[in-house]
Amino acid sequence: MSSLKSHFTLILALISILFSIFLFKTFSQILYKYKQNIIDNYSIVIVSTKQLSPNDVDNLGTLKQININNELKKLKQKYPNIDFSNITLPYFYKLKLNTLPSPKELENIKNELLNKPFIKKVMTKSSAQTKIYNLLMLLEIITKTFMYLIGILGFLLILKQLEVWKLLHNERMYIMELFGAPFWFRGAALFKIAFIDSLISLIITFILIIFVTNLTIFQKVINDLGINYQIDYLKDFGLLFVISFIISFISSILVVIGKK
Amino acid sequence: MGKLVVANNLTLTYENNPVIKSSNFTINSGDFVFLTGVSGSGKTTIIKSLYGELKPHSGNLRIGEFNLFNISKSKLSTLRKHLGIVFQDFKLIPEWNILKNVMLPLLIAGVNKNEAEQRAMEYLSRVKLSHKADKFPAELSGGEQQRAAIARATIHNPVMILADEPISGLDEYSASLVMDLFIKANQKGITIVIASHSIPTEFSINFRQLHIEKGKIYELA
Repeated sequence: MSSLKSHFTLILALISILFSIFLFKTFSQILYKYKQNIIDNYSIVIVSTKQLSPNDVDNLGTLKQININNELKKLKQKYPNIDFSNITLPYFYKLKLNTLPSPKELENIKNELLNKPFIKKVMTKSSAQTKIYNLLMLLEIITKTFMYLIGILGFLLILKQLEVWKLLHNERMYIMELFGAPFWFRGAALFKIAFIDSLISLIITFILIIFVTNLTIFQKVINDLGINYQIDYLKDFGLLFVISFIISFISSILVVIGKK
Repeated sequence: MGKLVVANNLTLTYENNPVIKSSNFTINSGDFVFLTGVSGSGKTTIIKSLYGELKPHSGNLRIGEFNLFNISKSKLSTLRKHLGIVFQDFKLIPEWNILKNVMLPLLIAGVNKNEAEQRAMEYLSRVKLSHKADKFPAELSGGEQQRAAIARATIHNPVMILADEPISGLDEYSASLVMDLFIKANQKGITIVIASHSIPTEFSINFRQLHIEKGKIYELA
């Protein structure tokens, strides 16, 4: 019974760590994609007295000139008395930024651009951008804190497990050592437990992952965010497989090394 | 007979207190040695130092080619593979059955499981425990556990068996069976060192007695 309990502790710890790593990775990727989505749909409008090259805007992003011919045509029709050929019109650009800036960064970018003598006006969608940015940051902080907490909890469970393992296996390992057993022989039983527990945790975590990611609400959130996000199960399984085995084997090695 | 154990000016301490002080002794291959002395005289300390559990404080202690003063972990493992150790509290692995316990030195030596099992059964039958092969240590009496421990200590043909108070706490019948097993092992050429507060009466073979008194080791005729 106590042996079963000790298996359960490690399996629970591993599941919580593996699942938190998966959630952490998934949330980070979703947030990254969502940020990219915002960046793709977000741009600063610059009005300049000369034609701009990326160097003129400190390579902050991609510059695209706005074609104003249509607007000019409309103006000409609207104001037939004005001779537009005598008016020197400025150049209009869309600056698509490389990264999503914070409201403060956006303000700095705006000021820097306005400091250039040839730039007359900079238009940002500051208020909408600020809200989205703040919301994203809040979401990121909450999810990361949550994942860290789960990770720490899992780590504490593993520490507890190490103590239990020491009590359970110390005597056997000591006797084996008295008969000259090498390190791998003394730890064989623990390594076996670590392997089995890792495998069980991995399977349970993966069932959990498949269940969660196939929940209608999860799919709906992804769709509502308007991002194209596909979970690479094979890659994630590989990553969790490696992490799970590293954690359990390091734990078992620590017990064998720390034997009193 | 060559010298198997050589101790020169050996000082052993226990919890920083000198137990054995600048003592000299030798044990030859094939010797049957009783290490005697009153309780707390240092018998266990010497046995522990012989299997490398306790590092000498000063002096020199050699077993064959191994210098126990500065032995590395890997060399200590090699040395221990050539020793058989019997403890007063048996030190059988509680979660293993008797058969597997006896197999332990062979498994460590890399002998395959079937062969190890076969030899363990043979040794269990020598110590009259073959009918209890699948029992766990807790299911055996003290005498039976000690016999199993001797089977484990001899199964790999060690060069020397170190026994710490092996018959203390056993009834007369069990004690005589256990001593008989040591004698048989010695007749096969295995060096035996037994730490005991007294020597059993009616002991039938030649033996040496190293007596510890006030931290010094004397050979008694």
